[in-house]
Amino acid sequence: MAAILFVIGVVTVLTRSNLFKKLLGINIMESAIYLTFVAASNRRDGVVPILDLANPEQPYINPLPSALMLTGIVVSVSVTAFALALIVRLYRSYHTTDARQISRMKDEVTNG
Amino acid sequence: MTATLKQHLPVLLVVGPLLVAYILPVLFRRTRLIRGLTVAIVALGLLGTGYLAIFLLPSVGSSIVYGVGGWSAPWGIELVAGNLGVFFALMVTGVGLPISLYACGALGQEVSPSETRSKFLVLYLLLTGALAGMAFTNDMFNIFVLVEVATLSCCGLVSARRGAKAASAAFNYLVLATIGSSFILAGIGMVYITTGHLNIGFANGELVKAWSTYPHVIWLAVSFFLVGFGVKGALFPLHVWLPDAHSSAPTPASAILSALAVKGYALCLMKILYGVFGASLITTLGVNRILVILGMVGTMAASILALGQEELKRRLAFSTVAQVGYVFLGLGLVNVTGLTGTLYHMASHAMIKSSLFLAAGTIVTTTGKTRISELAGIGKKMPVTMAVFTIASLGLVGIPLFSGFVGKWYLLLGSLEVGGVLAAAVIILGSVLCAAYLFPIIRVAYFEPAPQEDWQDPGVLEKIAMIGLAVGVLVLGTVPGSYLEMAVQAASELLFK
Repeated sequence: MAAILFVIGVVTVLTRSNLFKKLLGINIMESAIYLTFVAASNRRDGVVPILDLANPEQPYINPLPSALMLTGIVVSVSVTAFALALIVRLYRSYHTTDARQISRMKDEVTNG
Repeated sequence: MTATLKQHLPVLLVVGPLLVAYILPVLFRRTRLIRGLTVAIVALGLLGTGYLAIFLLPSVGSSIVYGVGGWSAPWGIELVAGNLGVFFALMVTGVGLPISLYACGALGQEVSPSETRSKFLVLYLLLTGALAGMAFTNDMFNIFVLVEVATLSCCGLVSARRGAKAASAAFNYLVLATIGSSFILAGIGMVYITTGHLNIGFANGELVKAWSTYPHVIWLAVSFFLVGFGVKGALFPLHVWLPDAHSSAPTPASAILSALAVKGYALCLMKILYGVFGASLITTLGVNRILVILGMVGTMAASILALGQEELKRRLAFSTVAQVGYVFLGLGLVNVTGLTGTLYHMASHAMIKSSLFLAAGTIVTTTGKTRISELAGIGKKMPVTMAVFTIASLGLVGIPLFSGFVGKWYLLLGSLEVGGVLAAAVIILGSVLCAAYLFPIIRVAYFEPAPQEDWQDPGVLEKIAMIGLAVGVLVLGTVPGSYLEMAVQAASELLFK
């Protein structure tokens, strides 16, 4: 499942020329990784990791991956915000959000 | 007081720049104070690492282990100030100090208004802190976080310059770098799932067992790390973002990106490959051969591409790709000599490429000329700048007595040790090509008649910065001494733990 999402994300980033779609691709890819981490921490009949003195042998869900992924989500939010800001700046100068058109316009500027 | 200071030195070196970076925006209008603080904290960092290298490290023997927040290894994040870390931190602060001096002096010409300038310094310090963190950290998830901090601040530095060209370069860089970090995170996830540890040392211990149970997952993890750090460290076919980003950034940013940021990722790859997977597993998986081949192809192809670049900064950017090829080539050699060569080449290339970029940036901003053919007579008009450029070029080509020679010499010996005649040939040919793309610039600058315009060397701070770096190139080349010894130690620690 996560692998499929990951591949969808990578393909979107690399093939779509719309900048927003590229950004969404990145986000899909990252979600796939979060999913992998969190899925890996799960175990059958695990409980919330709070020590129950009456039943100390109770298996619990590893909280570490979730904590790590929280950091990961923060990182990806800031990346997304920064990328959106850059897209706004690009749109202001080129009036388009299409990567191919932007690169064509850039070539015209350097050649002409 | 001093005892506590000494005890917490490794973490202070990382936290210091980060902390000051967050203080700077509060002082928004006081430009002088902001600049002073920036230079002061980088200088303190250099002093601290120097102290660590000269006094603390020999007294402890091998390395200083520091558990962040008092939590020791398998639970907490561990910082290790060993030979490798201190070597890299010395390089970061040693090159970072001149660049920050230069940034304080000359940024006004390229980045305006002044508020953007102080934000630039914030990003600069964040990057320095992240790189220092990469040097010391011994925890994989910590590596990921630092890599992200570094990536974001690099993109910010690239986009600091006005104009859409910088923005589009920064966007491309951001997209590719984020793909790279996703791959790294996925790789970390696989190692964590198979071993249950994020600490490099502990993961390595478990990985030997995991290798027999889940060979496919380990395969996948290694390839994810290779792609991830390859994108970020500009390993050859994945380098496409670099020339645009490095040539459209403001001068001090190009210098620090080319000199240090790319090396940070190469260092992380080194730590993960040799630290987590270990030398024998790398050889079994054949990663070393992939690295050597990509390094060779990268050196040759990027050198040839550099020859075709008419724009000064773009030529230097392609040359960075070529030199990074050497670094990855050495990473794949799996012997002490090769790794020493890689480490030393990293340091010397950091010195050289930052002085080249500072000199080139000075030329471009004062004259407004970006093309190499337009640089006629610069050598007479701007003697200091061009002298620095010449020294650094000689260093990059690898003439004896300049720093590039030592690194390349060890790489050459290392590749001959494993019988890589082809790799050795590539190392020499790469140097020849390097001369072919750098010397014409020097020829144009010195031996063609100067135009009538009045160009001058930049201000005092910039001059100090460039001369400092050029002296560094000469010192690293003539008396490598204990710094080289440190690289040898670090290399052997990586191989035989």
